[in-house]
Amino acid sequence: MPNHFLGVEGASVSFGKREAQVRALRGVSQFFERGTLSLVMGPSGSGKTTLLSLLGCLLSPDEGTVFIDGVAVNGLSETEKTVVRQKKISFVFQAFRLFHSLSAIDNVALGFELRDAALPGRMEMARDLLVRFGLGDKLSQEPNELSPGEKQRVAIARALAGNPPILLADEPTASLDAQAGRNICQILRNQVDDDGRTVVVVTHDPRWQEFADHTITLCDGQVEQVEKNL
Amino acid sequence: MKLAWQNIVHDRARFSVTVLGVSFAVFLMVFQGSLLVGFLRAASRLIDASDSDLWITARGVQAFEFGTPIEGRVREMAAGVPGVLETSRVCMAFSVYRTPNGKQQVVALVGADRNVGERFPVPDVSGSPEGMSPDAVLYDVSDRDLIQVTAMPAEVEVNRHRARIERVINGYGAFLGVPFLFTSYRNASRFMGVGPEEGMFVLLRVDKGYSTSDVQRSLRQRFPEVEVLTRDEFARKSRSYWTIKTGAGGAILTAAVLGFLIGLVVVSQTIYANTMENIEEYATLKALGASQAFVARIVLTQALICGAVGSILGLLTVVPCIGYAKSLIPWIYTPWWLLLVMVVPSLAMCSLASIASVRSALTVEPGRVFRA
Repeated sequence: MPNHFLGVEGASVSFGKREAQVRALRGVSQFFERGTLSLVMGPSGSGKTTLLSLLGCLLSPDEGTVFIDGVAVNGLSETEKTVVRQKKISFVFQAFRLFHSLSAIDNVALGFELRDAALPGRMEMARDLLVRFGLGDKLSQEPNELSPGEKQRVAIARALAGNPPILLADEPTASLDAQAGRNICQILRNQVDDDGRTVVVVTHDPRWQEFADHTITLCDGQVEQVEKNL
Repeated sequence: MKLAWQNIVHDRARFSVTVLGVSFAVFLMVFQGSLLVGFLRAASRLIDASDSDLWITARGVQAFEFGTPIEGRVREMAAGVPGVLETSRVCMAFSVYRTPNGKQQVVALVGADRNVGERFPVPDVSGSPEGMSPDAVLYDVSDRDLIQVTAMPAEVEVNRHRARIERVINGYGAFLGVPFLFTSYRNASRFMGVGPEEGMFVLLRVDKGYSTSDVQRSLRQRFPEVEVLTRDEFARKSRSYWTIKTGAGGAILTAAVLGFLIGLVVVSQTIYANTMENIEEYATLKALGASQAFVARIVLTQALICGAVGSILGLLTVVPCIGYAKSLIPWIYTPWWLLLVMVVPSLAMCSLASIASVRSALTVEPGRVFRA
């Protein structure tokens, strides 16, 4: 009996129609254990981002089942999927995707607001998170005033607002220099070790290997290899 | 909703364009609204100034300005109808006025019995310390340039009869460019060449113990050759003539609607452009778990902020402009409620303008967040 906390079973996804159709995933079955950091690697077009979109409830498979926190989410309506994302999942993006008009603290506070609009003390909690990530002196800075590494730390703080159990990261270190990239790797590793979160990272970056529990390699929409790292 | 506010203030140039669009629309709507309200008010001003309950006019009279004579016996017989407390007469005709320096001008000459009403502009000799004569002629201060009287009393001619202008009044200025002259009924009928017992409008006050509609019904049965209207009915008829039948009201309304539409287009364009510029952020919001209502609220809040700021700016601009316009258009009138009421269409305009933007923000695929 596989651990069905997070994963896909027999998932196939196609884009386009007829001759232009591309099969991004071909019957992939892959599960991610609770409290682990897993890497999804593979060449461009291998289906990494498609798999991440399925796990993030942002895409529905043509065939197969997606499990989030042990529940099959295929049959859910868009509104129900929004609630699943709100309660269970958070994202970290390569392009950071911070709200450009908001300060660092407001970006993180918005993360809290999206998960629980009635939550009191959002600003204090946002400040605590940013201080924890060494951004105590950047609270009022807008994203365009921050370095790429700082932006990504703000984005991670926003993703952690509301304490979601699952964190999905798409090339989180691709835009960062070596030191900043390593820093982000360590921060995400700590999320697993300290808070028991489940982290899935799509990456081309080999630096991640030493921080990950497993590496899943995709090729042509199929799982080619699963390695245990730590 | 901090995001909504921050998004619009972050792009000040676009915010300014949106606010200017809204304020322009509000300006135009309030200005045109003031023209319409003033026009309606002016069209029935003299009818409204009377204290009468009922007006008897010749059949087919469309407005106060187009009264035609009715037989004098109507007034005498109407006075005998149960419930009629008091009668009075008003007449009006376009006349030729000759200024003291010999220049001629068409005027609207209005004559009325003294008991027509306290507010009706009739020479009032009682308690007049300056000793105003019963046949004095009055004109409105805003028509000074047309009447061309430099000192009072002034001897002038009306329809080749000698007349004496003795007093200036306020609030009864020229409507449609022809100045009013007010005098006693006796004097006016003499100037117009109407027999003293003939009437043009017979006004009736109804005894408190009687119902106005009952008295009206009774008069209609007794005098089928004339029209018996309540004061409000005649005022409405007069307003309807000037605004609908002449097309003047339609023209004013059209300009107000155009103002609304221009504002709608400007605001739609800028809010839509703003939304599309931030469409990736709406996708991110949805990916992070924002509900459709949350996303819609952000776009709508932005539109309403622009609407509120634009409305305030538009109102602050239009009020002094209308004050200035009064010197050119004396009957323009802005009631306080018009200023408040115009905020509603401006906010509605912004809400309407945001529909396309809300739709775009709601339909954006959250899955696009992974496209770098």
